Amino acid sequence: MGPGPPTDGDSSSREPAIRAYSTNETSNYHQIKFITMAIRAALLLVRATPLQFSFNPKQALVLKQNNRNYAVKSSLEPPDVQRLAETARISLAPHEVEEFAPKIQQVIDWFGQLQAVDLQNVAPAIRADNEEETLRDDSPEIFENRDAILAAVPCYEDSYIKVPKVLNKE
Amino acid sequence: MALTFFRGLHTHSFLMYPSSFLSRKNGMLYCTMKSIRGQTETQEKSQHQLKVSTQTQSRKHDDIFKNFEAIIGIETHVQLSTLTKAFCSCPYNYGAQPNTSICPVCMGLPGALPVLSTKVIESAVKVGLALNCNLSLSSKFDRKQYFYPDLPKGYQISQFDIPIATGGYLDVDIPLEFGGGHRKFGITRVHMEEDAGKLLHTGNGSFSQVDLNRAGVPLLEIVSEPDMRTGIEAAEYAAELQRLVRYLGVSNGNMQEGSLRCDVNISIRPIGQLEFGTKVEIKNLNSFSSVSRAIDFEISRQALLHSQGQADQIVQETRLWEEGAQKTVTMRKKEGLADYRYFPEPDLPGVTLTEEYVDGIRCSLPELPEMKRRRYEGMGLNMQDVLFLTNDINVADFFDSAIAEGADVKLAANWIMGDIAAYMKNEKLSINEIQLNSHELVELISSIKGGTISGKIGKEILFELMAKGGTVKGLIKEKNLVQIADPVEIEKMVDKVLADNPKQLEQYRGGKTKLQGYFAGQIMKESKGKANPALLNKILLEKLNAKS
Repeated sequence: MGPGPPTDGDSSSREPAIRAYSTNETSNYHQIKFITMAIRAALLLVRATPLQFSFNPKQALVLKQNNRNYAVKSSLEPPDVQRLAETARISLAPHEVEEFAPKIQQVIDWFGQLQAVDLQNVAPAIRADNEEETLRDDSPEIFENRDAILAAVPCYEDSYIKVPKVLNKE
Repeated sequence: MALTFFRGLHTHSFLMYPSSFLSRKNGMLYCTMKSIRGQTETQEKSQHQLKVSTQTQSRKHDDIFKNFEAIIGIETHVQLSTLTKAFCSCPYNYGAQPNTSICPVCMGLPGALPVLSTKVIESAVKVGLALNCNLSLSSKFDRKQYFYPDLPKGYQISQFDIPIATGGYLDVDIPLEFGGGHRKFGITRVHMEEDAGKLLHTGNGSFSQVDLNRAGVPLLEIVSEPDMRTGIEAAEYAAELQRLVRYLGVSNGNMQEGSLRCDVNISIRPIGQLEFGTKVEIKNLNSFSSVSRAIDFEISRQALLHSQGQADQIVQETRLWEEGAQKTVTMRKKEGLADYRYFPEPDLPGVTLTEEYVDGIRCSLPELPEMKRRRYEGMGLNMQDVLFLTNDINVADFFDSAIAEGADVKLAANWIMGDIAAYMKNEKLSINEIQLNSHELVELISSIKGGTISGKIGKEILFELMAKGGTVKGLIKEKNLVQIADPVEIEKMVDKVLADNPKQLEQYRGGKTKLQGYFAGQIMKESKGKANPALLNKILLEKLNAKS
């Protein structure tokens, strides 16, 4: 994966296939994953507060429409990288925090550009959809290359993945 | 049945939470009688010792108890019995070798895309309809972010603001031993989501072990309204949900395997107070009786704190039920609201249902436990019979097919609940595993009713049928068990027995008429249990009184 915002999925193919994955890339995997996480988190800063979500579907739709107003909002809060790292369970040295902050800010700015699009006359949708069949039958298939997945696990022993003790830690 | 709520308490906690304080009702939960039988028997012994010393305290505590009302809501996770995981084709088998059922999708590898199984939607719609919910014809998936080793993606795919079903209810009949009555508990919502992997914290090392076979397995989360008031109500609600998913065939509902997991939310408030108390969540409830006992424990813990002026020590937290110690302990205190940063899942399209699809499923729904109970009640069965027969869908099916063949309702119920149930329990077999089928039960009942065999012989045949199979007619023929109803033949046997017992005959005629029972027994023995009892007694009496 090169620089720039990673996409979350390729909507042209619904097959659960591997894209851009090989064992060589797993060393970068953690970094990529963090940036992805951070971007997701940052995007949520762009979004409204968690209060926008309600268990009442009607209310949610109304609030969605209110989201459009964010296009009007001019400046965004700079990302709190330290807090983002905490929620991603990653410890960052102070110089790393400094290093990441502008990168994440850049991503947020890209999305800032999208906010300029005028959506006043577009009906709100629950989400973007494509028209094709996007479901699967309930027929099991064993993934052939399981060994490659397990080989990429940092610590694997007695058929379990070993991780630092995590009891009573949310 | 002895009290079973508490055992093995440490002296300290015992004084804090005396058992008699908790046990407002004696007896076990109806729904769990079978599964935890062994456990309760061992509990009964230790219970006795505790009981004596607590009786004096109990009245005072009952008073405290009466002043509070508990508000209980339950969050239930039902694991769907699909062949594949929710968003990938990995097979799921409970107990499989760890980390064998994995693929790029459920391992959260970059670039892998989830694809939802139709079976998950179908199951959710079935459950939503069975719970009398409104279905969202257009719902969606969301990402719930949290970092934990049981979740390779770093987020759980779930449904947040638009669940597939909302606003339903569940009908529950409370067993008579718990006061009986009918309850309607509200259902807030039902949504689809994926399960996480399993973490094992074995040994004392600094590592935890992760098995990701379960990661991505489909779950339905069913959230109730806070409508329950007692541990019994909560346990019966959970038991009814289990029956429901089993009747629907969407899950095995097995609590031991974790296919049905209940988290309880509970707060208490002084009766008459409008605002709610501080809510505590209880996890690690692996049986219906632990649901009930954990709630009763928690109510008493909180009521005691209230009565001691320490209500401020009730804090919003998650507590774990410890089955061994029979108490709840703090697992984690809530530090503000968890920040899950939900947002719509970009890798999955929305879930769209058509009216035709929903109607199709509605029409194909089986008879549900509540309908079955009302129907059985209408057939004249009492509530105890009704609850027993409807508890297990296979037992209900067995009963239904016996009735369909014309068996007497009450007789069929009695046979199933009596000797058949006892046999199943002793042999640890389900009704589908015993060799007897419903057709032969019908044959047996009519053979007894028609006088071909006696009730006693019928019982013997029943055990043979359950253990080895075969037919009633075949066994009667093979063992020559047809009831002797020929007066001449019975008369012969009566004569023989009277001739063999001259002393007793003399005593009888001397006024010791109780000996009639002795003669009857001897004659029955002579006939190998086959003599028609009414006829036997009639002839015997005639003979005994003939020459006096």
